[in-house]
Amino acid sequence: MDLAAQLKLQAWLDGELPEAEARAVADWVAREPEASALAEELRQTRRALAGFEADLRLPESREFFWSKIEREIARRAAPAPASAPRGAAILAGLRRFLIPATAAALLVLAGAVLIRPGGAPTRGGGAEVEMALADAGAFTYCDYSAGTTLVWFSYPADN
Amino acid sequence: MTVKDYSSAEERALVRMAQQGDLAAFEELVARHRDKIYARAYSMMRHEQEALDLAQEAWVKGWQRLGQFQGDAGFGTWLTRIVINLCLDALRRQKRQRVESLEALAEESGGVERQMPVVAPNPTAGLERAELRQRIDQALGQLSHEHRTVLILNEFEEMDYKEIARTMGCSIGTVMSRLFYARRKLAALLTDLKKPDTT
Repeated sequence: MDLAAQLKLQAWLDGELPEAEARAVADWVAREPEASALAEELRQTRRALAGFEADLRLPESREFFWSKIEREIARRAAPAPASAPRGAAILAGLRRFLIPATAAALLVLAGAVLIRPGGAPTRGGGAEVEMALADAGAFTYCDYSAGTTLVWFSYPADN
Repeated sequence: MTVKDYSSAEERALVRMAQQGDLAAFEELVARHRDKIYARAYSMMRHEQEALDLAQEAWVKGWQRLGQFQGDAGFGTWLTRIVINLCLDALRRQKRQRVESLEALAEESGGVERQMPVVAPNPTAGLERAELRQRIDQALGQLSHEHRTVLILNEFEEMDYKEIARTMGCSIGTVMSRLFYARRKLAALLTDLKKPDTT
């Protein structure tokens, strides 16, 4: 018996064949001992399986199982944490970028002002930086042309 | 409505109440069908904790999709379809993570089942219910998940070939071949499981 014949026999047992074809298979099974034996084996397997799942019980109490489901339903139904408006988020992102960028730009600008190409700054020309001997952490910037003097400290002001 | 009213309410009424957001009505539906949903998950997964997790997930999804339930089939059948699909997804994920056994490859190529000798007489005749259940459980555990699933969908869910093919995403020919192999293999395993008495 080839596989196609065996599968047809199974389809007959499963009620999957059209009526005319089912009659032909039934006749064949009645005539052929080999087909008859296979049909009986397939029927036995079906009978053995019948009612198999009836004894399977969920191994948790009604209350405990439901409590897990209820908790999960509540968790999924809970609104997502409120997020900041889109505009605010963009501003926050910009702020994170702008603060260090501004500080860097100021440092570059200060450097450009303080360091003059082609030699040390001259008193007569424009500006110079001095370190006070009395306080190694204090620096003085003098711009003679503008008549401006800036003093800055390398330590916090409250020290 | 009191708890007692829920326990005596008809299923359709409970579904309607649950669809309107009544969690207590849904809890009653869970209580009525939880064993069947778990049994289906366990039969497919063969693992208690996985079956519990998938059964729970099926109920949560059932609650979320209650609005889609039209009542064409019974509520239990509808929920069972959900757990079957969850199990199939889980089994596919597991399959991707493991190497197919040579036997499974041979099964897919067909022909193995054709050569098995027919089992006679009935290997399960005269067994006590508990013993029979244990033997079937062991035998089912030795089938590949594809063969076990096709058997479960046909024998327990009473799905026809076309529906099984649609559910499993394969051809009707594959369903027929897998079902035939599963039944024949199961018959052989049940016979083998009976043999230790004589060895």
